[in-house]
Amino acid sequence: MTLLVLAAGLFFGSPFAALLGSFATEGGFAVLAQPGVLAVVATSLVTALGATLLAAVIGTVLGYHFTFRRRCGGRGLKAFFSLPLVLPPSAAGYMLLLAFGRYGLVGGPLYQGFGLQIMFTGAALVLAQFFVVTPLMMQAAASAFHQVPENLVKAARSLGADDFTIFIRILLPLSRPVLVAGVITAFARAIGEFGATMMVAGRLKTIPIMIYVKAMGGDSGVADGLSLLLVLLSFVVLLLVNILGER
Amino acid sequence: MSLELENVGLTIGGQTILKNISFKLEPGELLVVLGNSGAGKSKLLEVVAGLVTEPVGRVEYGGRSLEGLGPQERSVGLVFQDYALFPHLTAAENILFGLKCRRAPRAEQVKWLKAVTAELKIDHLLERYPTELSGGQQQRVALARCMVLRPEILLLDEPLSALDAATRERLALLIKRIQDKFGVTMLYVTHDHTEARLMADRILVLEGGEMVQLGTPEMIFDRPRNRFVAHFTATRNILPGRITERRESAGRVQVEFAGIRVEAASFPDRDELVWVCMRPEFFHLGMSRETGGEENLIPGCRVRRLLPQTGAVMQVEFEAGPEQERLLACTFGPIAADLGPGDRVDLKIAATHVHCLPRRAEDIYCR
Repeated sequence: MTLLVLAAGLFFGSPFAALLGSFATEGGFAVLAQPGVLAVVATSLVTALGATLLAAVIGTVLGYHFTFRRRCGGRGLKAFFSLPLVLPPSAAGYMLLLAFGRYGLVGGPLYQGFGLQIMFTGAALVLAQFFVVTPLMMQAAASAFHQVPENLVKAARSLGADDFTIFIRILLPLSRPVLVAGVITAFARAIGEFGATMMVAGRLKTIPIMIYVKAMGGDSGVADGLSLLLVLLSFVVLLLVNILGER
Repeated sequence: MSLELENVGLTIGGQTILKNISFKLEPGELLVVLGNSGAGKSKLLEVVAGLVTEPVGRVEYGGRSLEGLGPQERSVGLVFQDYALFPHLTAAENILFGLKCRRAPRAEQVKWLKAVTAELKIDHLLERYPTELSGGQQQRVALARCMVLRPEILLLDEPLSALDAATRERLALLIKRIQDKFGVTMLYVTHDHTEARLMADRILVLEGGEMVQLGTPEMIFDRPRNRFVAHFTATRNILPGRITERRESAGRVQVEFAGIRVEAASFPDRDELVWVCMRPEFFHLGMSRETGGEENLIPGCRVRRLLPQTGAVMQVEFEAGPEQERLLACTFGPIAADLGPGDRVDLKIAATHVHCLPRRAEDIYCR
């Protein structure tokens, strides 16, 4: 047993050790000051924030729906909304291309009617990240609402509260720690999203795309810096989620 | 205005929770719904409160059907067994929740908050959160939260079950005071027969979602309709017997059980085989054989064991009659202090306190 744990530790630790080693020899975070790198970081932050904001709202509403309105759609609909969790990200990106591309199901009419192009713009990045992280938020919200004692909802209803009041004044405040943990996790997932984003990004770059491009191009300094940035961000996120989970 | 239920039923997920519940509750009356866990007591309250959808039958208040009306459209307050106070709100915010939902003017909110919290003596607790309150204080806040809405019907779901004895007593008195002072009609759920007797104007006994008996506490406790009610209301002596002689003109029958003959004033019209029900507290213990008028005498009962004392009352198990049938009797005072296993005592019980229930083939005798 101990040997297995040690072996697993070595396996999972080796990429981090390798990254730290490479990062130290390639000049540290200074390489991030190279032209264009900061813009990529900014693009990633802005699009991830936008996607997280959208996912927080829509995911919370979906979580509420599947907790309290189970009859409308039931398990099938919930499984459908959870699909992006298990879909290969590249397939998700391809489907988004088909739907929102210039000749797509939704994108076609938008382009022909209003001249609006979604794909290969910042909006496409937001859309791809939103598509992938919304189920995460939905599940966090559903789990949070499940934890609110049923009698509190009944008590509120017996006192004359309508669904909206119960949602705003009872469910949201009582679910806040889990919901905030869900938002943080969604943000971390959004900023690290690669496959779907890659398919719809065009010439735009996010941090994961930049890491891929630089690593393939042999510029390991930038790839190291950006990777470590994401590792640190993920670590902080997990720490925060754990702290919130203990409340 | 009166609350009337007619053939109310409820089925959830194919399971029958309530079936054919009918009763009429007069204004200001307190009806206790008595039953064991899973009898459907709490669901009955939720039906009246409008919290469950699609019950069958009719629920009327003041002759007006409540069908399709949400909780906010019914003048009903519900106090939950676990209080269901909102943990993120202070006592004052909890109490004002309903008024805010109804968008009551600020002045009205303050007026009713002051009036009700002063009445319930919780005006010094308003800034505290539920976790900072004792069980009794939480229960008062839960009551206040309903009372500020001035409901005409108050539904109480086992309101005293989680409290210590002293707090239970104080809150029971408080609930009776609220009933008297505000004239609120109350539906009060409990599984505790002592509490039911203390609180009720009338009692409704539920078993497996069905009404078993509805009546005054005296009717329920002294004239239980069947063995379930007798057992549930702590009639500890339920013995198989046979009516040996009917004296209908005197309103009496002679009934024999375990070789003992007693007179009973309550009996079925036709059945010969009966359950003889005698409540322990109706026995008198005496060393002499003098009987007072109507009393049955069961002589020379041997003390088998003394049960743990509850307050000043002691329960004693006797072996009575030629078959040494076990009888349980309550006693207190000097006689109780002198009793010990093996002692011989005469037991007396009035014919009016011997109640016979029909004993049918499907009944299984178990002690």
